Amino acid sequence: MSLPPLWAALAGVLLGLGVATLCGWTIGRMFMAGLTGREKFAWSFAIGLMVQALALLVVVAVGARPTTAALLGIEAGIGIAALLAGILRRRAAPGWFPAGRKFDALAFALAAVAGAAWALFLLTAIADAPWATDFFAVWGYKAKIVYGAGSVPRRLFADPALDFAHPEYPLLVPLSLSALGVAAGRWNEPALALFYPACALATLLALWGFLARRVSRPAGALAAALSALCFFLYRPSNVGTAEIPFALAAVLAAVAASDFVLEASAGETARLAAAALFAASVKQEGALLSVLLAAAVWGKLRTTEARRARNGALALVLPVALHGLLQVVLRGHRPSRDFDLALLSPGRWGELPARFGTALARLLSADVLPASVPLLAIVVLLIATERGAVDWLLGVLALQLLGYVAAFTLSAYGPAYAVDAAFSRIATTLFPALTLVLAARLMSSEPAWAHQTSPPAGMSDSGESSGESARRAPRLHGVGTTGNSRNEKGP
Amino acid sequence: MDKARRFSAVLALLVLAASIASPLSFEETGERLSRLAAALTGAEGYDPEAASFWFDPEYASFLEDVARRTPENATVAVLVPESPDLYFYQAVYRLAPRRVVGPGRRGEAGFVAAYGPSIGQAPDGQPVTHGRLETR
Repeated sequence: MSLPPLWAALAGVLLGLGVATLCGWTIGRMFMAGLTGREKFAWSFAIGLMVQALALLVVVAVGARPTTAALLGIEAGIGIAALLAGILRRRAAPGWFPAGRKFDALAFALAAVAGAAWALFLLTAIADAPWATDFFAVWGYKAKIVYGAGSVPRRLFADPALDFAHPEYPLLVPLSLSALGVAAGRWNEPALALFYPACALATLLALWGFLARRVSRPAGALAAALSALCFFLYRPSNVGTAEIPFALAAVLAAVAASDFVLEASAGETARLAAAALFAASVKQEGALLSVLLAAAVWGKLRTTEARRARNGALALVLPVALHGLLQVVLRGHRPSRDFDLALLSPGRWGELPARFGTALARLLSADVLPASVPLLAIVVLLIATERGAVDWLLGVLALQLLGYVAAFTLSAYGPAYAVDAAFSRIATTLFPALTLVLAARLMSSEPAWAHQTSPPAGMSDSGESSGESARRAPRLHGVGTTGNSRNEKGP
Repeated sequence: MDKARRFSAVLALLVLAASIASPLSFEETGERLSRLAAALTGAEGYDPEAASFWFDPEYASFLEDVARRTPENATVAVLVPESPDLYFYQAVYRLAPRRVVGPGRRGEAGFVAAYGPSIGQAPDGQPVTHGRLETR
């Protein structure tokens, strides 16, 4: 008796995701020293997706038909080359040991909540084929074209009849779906939906690992639990779109920038650049987020460490510029049909305040008021807790939202329409990044032994050998309400 | 004061968690899990695409038939209801990698596929499931 076809398709997509993550690890290991295993998984996954998309582009660029063997073979080749390069340039990279393995009931309980919510999302995501309109019109459509044609047809960018598919959108999500279809050897939509729980898992692990390392284990588990419970984001209607991958991109960019602000080794700088490239490749909003983070990093460091400030800003901005340039080369200059850029001409500046007001009023009535309960809870949380470790991200996230309102002001379909069509959906993608701020404020406590210069034997949860030379990463202490470190300021 | 702030923070956290989890519908989740079980066990009657044709379940077989009868490099004009827009977007997706255009670009198409109420707009076409397909 043979298994139903879904099993084989799921196995194929899992193989594609697994090979991509392994390939990402071989590259990422050169700049992931000191991270927890959870963070390493998240970074490996994100880097692996970019490499997998690149491998697919290489196959079609040489005119070959994408096959499972060709795609996975190229990824394996890249992985082996990266491993060799890593061995050749290996040096005693400073490692450090995050929190130990001491059992923490609260962290365990919160992690269990996160795991249960994620498992529910996993099961519901693959229960149906994706059915979001944007999947059929944009993300899944492009992916299926590339998969079916075995190439990236010029018409995707040049055919006016296909304007509905937004030729100006970045291509990482469609290329990832195509590559997973190639890896699986079939186009099976429920199986391709696995891509989304995988992105969600990477997001939760990145949050958990970063806060466990920098703040406390309960903080990490709390951020993961809150994010996993956000069924406004992790729900079947977002499967097949770019929102869930963008939430991962926003978290990776936020944690990379937070790491960089604390200590800038080559690893932190490389992760900044990787996060910026990933964010810009997933959604257009990623470019804005990278630029805002660049401004924030520069602003935080410019007076004390001007060179580091400049390097950090460049690491965030240059990949975005490079990605933009590649897009122009690939598809030519195609202004977005969503925006009426003529509104920016001096003669029409007078219209902008009224349009901005319309967008803001619509936002308040259609999005803020219906979400007043969770928004009020967030405000109370911010008031009831004291300054946290990554509060500076709040400003970046607020400016990102303001950027959306400004963009809607230029909407070709009118500001109110744009707000109704997109704001709550794209704003929700920032929620996991916001949980970094909330969890760091709520749970900044840390165990007493954390002040030791090296961890107790065998207490590394990063998977690193305890025999390596170790230094502690600077830990961030806000002054939370539940912690035992009320008088600690740092680092 | 500390206790009050701590209580407020914990309460706000619980309210936030409950609010963001509120879209979870146990009824819909139960139905999805049943469909997943059917898919994983190969139960008869399971159709993974059924959910995406909620607006018109018969439309799926029309698109399947058009896909069978047209080459992958063809341009197909689809004459389908304007609302919901999923009629058009399902056509462009299901027929990919064919180039699918709307009625305004009918002149560029090698095939015209008319569905349901639009059948009359392709009077010379051959009958296909729930529609007509005209070769030009």
